[in-house]
This record gives sequence, structure tokens and C-alpha cells, in this order.
Amino acid sequence: MKSLQLLLILVLVSFGSCNQLDSPDQKSPSFPEMVLPTISKSLGVGSFPQPDRNPMSKQGMVLGKKLFFDPKLSKNGKVSCATCHKPTLGFADGTDLTKTGVSGKSLHRHSPPLFNLAWHTTGLFWDGGANDLESLNFGPITHPDEMASDLNDVLDYLINHEEYPLLFQQTFGEITISSAFFSRAISQYTRSLISQTSQYDDWKNGQYNLTDIELKGYEIYRKNCSSCHKEGLFTDLAFHNNGLDSVYSDPPELEGIHLGRFRISFDSMDLGAFKTPSLRNITLTAPYMHDGRFATLEEVLDHYENKIKITKSLSPILFTPIKLSNMERKELIAFLKTLQDDLFIKNHSQEKF
Amino acid sequence: MKNLTYIFLLILLVFTSCKEEEIPALMDVEINFENTLNGKPLQLNGGSFTLPSGEQFIAKKFKYYISNIILSDTKTGEFFAVPKSYHLIGQDFNSKINLGPIPSKTYDQITFSIGIDPEANAKTDQTGDLDPNNDMAWNWNSGYKFVVLEGEFVHKSSGERTGLVLHIGRNQNYKTVSQSLVGVRAGRATTINLVTTIDQLFLSPHKLQVSELPSTTIMGGALADKIGENYSNGFVKIK
Repeated sequence: MKSLQLLLILVLVSFGSCNQLDSPDQKSPSFPEMVLPTISKSLGVGSFPQPDRNPMSKQGMVLGKKLFFDPKLSKNGKVSCATCHKPTLGFADGTDLTKTGVSGKSLHRHSPPLFNLAWHTTGLFWDGGANDLESLNFGPITHPDEMASDLNDVLDYLINHEEYPLLFQQTFGEITISSAFFSRAISQYTRSLISQTSQYDDWKNGQYNLTDIELKGYEIYRKNCSSCHKEGLFTDLAFHNNGLDSVYSDPPELEGIHLGRFRISFDSMDLGAFKTPSLRNITLTAPYMHDGRFATLEEVLDHYENKIKITKSLSPILFTPIKLSNMERKELIAFLKTLQDDLFIKNHSQEKF
Repeated sequence: MKNLTYIFLLILLVFTSCKEEEIPALMDVEINFENTLNGKPLQLNGGSFTLPSGEQFIAKKFKYYISNIILSDTKTGEFFAVPKSYHLIGQDFNSKINLGPIPSKTYDQITFSIGIDPEANAKTDQTGDLDPNNDMAWNWNSGYKFVVLEGEFVHKSSGERTGLVLHIGRNQNYKTVSQSLVGVRAGRATTINLVTTIDQLFLSPHKLQVSELPSTTIMGGALADKIGENYSNGFVKIK
């Protein structure tokens, strides 16, 4: 009898719904306010790419930022994304191979700086293994030597938190908080980190004149560095073996981490190849290379001048060493300093959490 | 009670479409998986099993994705493609896929894939069976492990218990399989029984001598692709 009643009600409801497209008492969800950043011409990029499934909103950036700086996402409650991606250092950490993760063990790669990530469409991480930011975040959050969390614990924490559920609702609407959504929120924040207000950018936009020494440095950069550190983003976003090593250790538990891009592509020409880092903010992001082996820019220049190891997968362009006089080095470094984006650093360092 | 459910579903279908159409009959279809090794039902952390190359073996984990299921009637060319069809199957985890009521046909073929199609495999911020919380998403190389087998075997030369870790994924190992169905009749609830034969991961066309492998942690590369070829044929089939 009860079933019949239910049936009747359902039939009535079905009839009703055919004529009414919108029921007036349905709460209209408060939509997040979409944000499209203004992009400087000096970045040399067309538009701001972002995945259809995760367009950037004001609310999403706020939520993502809160998550980025929240150490409670880690297993011991002490390590946040910002522990190794410090705003004051261009979101790098100033260490070669950090030990500040949950286990205290040394990582095998250097924490990369974070900015202009929207354009890293060739993949993220030093080897490009992560296809997008949304897929990347699960790496550091779960890695035992980084934040070491179980994703289920992260969800428990977020769902039972005083503020997070509302922030998720304001960003994504009525959803069940899942790993997909918290990763999307973090991605909205990290994608919003755009460095495009350095002296170099001002110069390109006609608001600053490079000094003579900086101009000379710019020409040296153009001649010797710009094929990989392509002007604009100051990276070609490609993967190159730049002659750091001739042998690569490959213990099975490290899943090919020393093999570079090879562990993703399985192409022997990608052995020891890592993504070209941007020269933007380079004066803030020492030490250098994927493992932070060079403490100074001088050491980097020494490498390109006379320490390149020739192997089969060496980037062909590096068969010719880059020889610079002491004066030329000074000029080049003077130019590189104009790529330091103090306004970007200031804007992101002042925020307190 | 069951009849009432059918009536209810039929009525619902008629009225949601809001048109006077021929009433399609629906049928419940469930797919059931049985995992076997050496012709016996698989047991985790016990039992008496050997790998095809002869080593004693204890399985600790066995999970795999079945996706993009299509039931077809090859006589009429009509088919039903299951929407958002990603299903994580695993020993002591999940052994059934309930397709729910689907259009009634005398289906005579099932097509499905082992693994995740390239489009869905390109990102891991997903929900449902593709949720990264299921421990099947790679976090350093975006994509999913399609087939995971972990356990320990007794090495032929050292005699020691040695770890075996197969994490097979990557787009080239997304394999589509078709099998003939017998006995499915339009309008009648059906269970399709599939059997998954772990032995086949090591058998053909590439015979793997596990004790002779340079590494028994296989997560990519030529050997993983060989295992992918092995599971493309005869790994999951009609019981």
C-alpha cells in the first residue's frame, strides 16, 4: 500500500516536472566570481591557459591559498606546501635537497620555484611527469619525505574543519569534498602566481631604461642563453640534458628519479634531461639545477664554460661551451638581476595566515 | 515487490521523456568477477599458489580497472555503452559491477577495456572509482595503474622470499577486449560472470621467468608493456 502511494506521488511529480522547467523555490547557488588575470606582453604568451574543469575564481584562490599555507594537511601537522615553497624566495626554499619534510629525510630533487605555472603545459615537476597542477598536488601531499599524508586523513580534516566546508561550497557549489576538489583549489592559487612585474618587464613595457651594463648583459643573454631560456617566460619548457652527469644511479625504490625525463618518456635521448628552469627571479632561487648542486650563479657559469659532461643524450647546443670573460659574467648577472620581481614577492609575502 | 519496482521504473521512464513513445523495457545486468591463479580462486596473504614460471607465490594485493563497457547485439548492430564506465575491481575489494536497469536487448557481445582510456588517464583529480584516494593513481607520472599485482615469491636461485611488484599503466597498455555472450535474453535480469586469470600476466605471448628478471619491481618500460600485451588476451574472459 505504501509503495502504491509512493508510486502515485512519483507519477504526479513526473507530470508536474514536464511543464515546469525551473521550480521557483529552488535555491539559486551563489556562483563563484571568475577571475582572468591581466597578462603582461613581456611574458610573451598569448592567453592564460587553464583547464575547463577548474576555471579560476576569487573564492577558489582564497581557498587554495589557505590550503597552501596549512601545515595541518601534513601527517605531523607541521609541513605545508609553503614550507618548501617560500614566497620570499620566489616560492623556492633556498636549500639544495631539503630535509624539512615529515620524515626528515633528504629529498632527491630541489624544490622548484612556483610562478607562471599556467604556461607549463609540457608537464610539471623537473621531469614533466605531472600533466597539470591538479594532478601534481597529490605527489608532495602523500610523499613520505614531504607531507606524508593519507588522502583520506586530509579529507577527514577538511570535512570536519570550522571554515573549509563553507569555502569549498563557495568555490565549487554543493559538492562532496573530495581529493579532486582540494587539489583543484590549490591549483587555482598556484596558477594565480604570475611573475611579470620585474625591471625587465618594466623595460619591455617602456617604463624603465636598462643601464648600460644591464643592456650588455641582455645581449650576452640573447646570444648564449636564450635558446633554452627563451625570452618571455625565460624557459622553453622543454627538457634537456645539460651535461651535469655521465652516469645515473637507478635504485628500484626511487623509481628512476635520477634518470630525468627518461623515467616519463622512456626515450634514451631523455636520459638525464630536466626541464629548463626560468631565469625569472633567478637571484632569489639559489641553489641551482634539479638537485641544487650549484650554490651560486658563478658556479653555474663555470659549468657551462668547462664542466659539461658529454654523453649521448647531451643537448647538442651544449657541445660548444659558453665562454664569457669576467666582465661579460658581471654584465650577464646584472641583467639577470633585472628579472627579479620584487613586487611579486612583496604582494605574496605580506599576506598572513 | 520486484514487479512494482519494474512498473515504477517504466512509469518513470515514460514520464521523464515527456513524449508518447514506445515503452522500452529495462533489464538489470550485473557483471561478476572471479580472480583465479593456478585455476583456483585467488586468496590474498595465503593459500598455496605458484607463478607460471614455477615459484611459490603469496599475493598481497590484486586490483585492476575495467572500463568503457559496451553491451551489443551484433545481429541488429544495436548497443548500450555504459556511461562514465570506470570500475575498480580487486581481490577483497570489489568484485561486481552493477549496470542497473539498462535497455532490454538480446545482447550477444560484451566489450570492455582493461585500464583507463587516454583522455581519462591524463589527469588524476577525479572522483568515484578514479578518485586518487583509491591508491591507483600515480602521483609522479599523471595517470593510473591499470593492473596492480603485489606479492612475494621464492626466488629460484637465491631461495629467498622476493618482492614482486607489478604496476602496469600508461596509455599503450589500455587494452580493449570483446567476448561473446550466450544466454542473455531481453527483459530478463542477467549476471555476466567473468573470470580473471592472473597466470595470463606471465604467459603469452611473452613468457616471463620471474626469477630471471633483472628487477621484479615493474612499473613501466618494455617489460611492463609486455605484461600489457599479455593481459590483452585471455586475462579477463567469460566464465
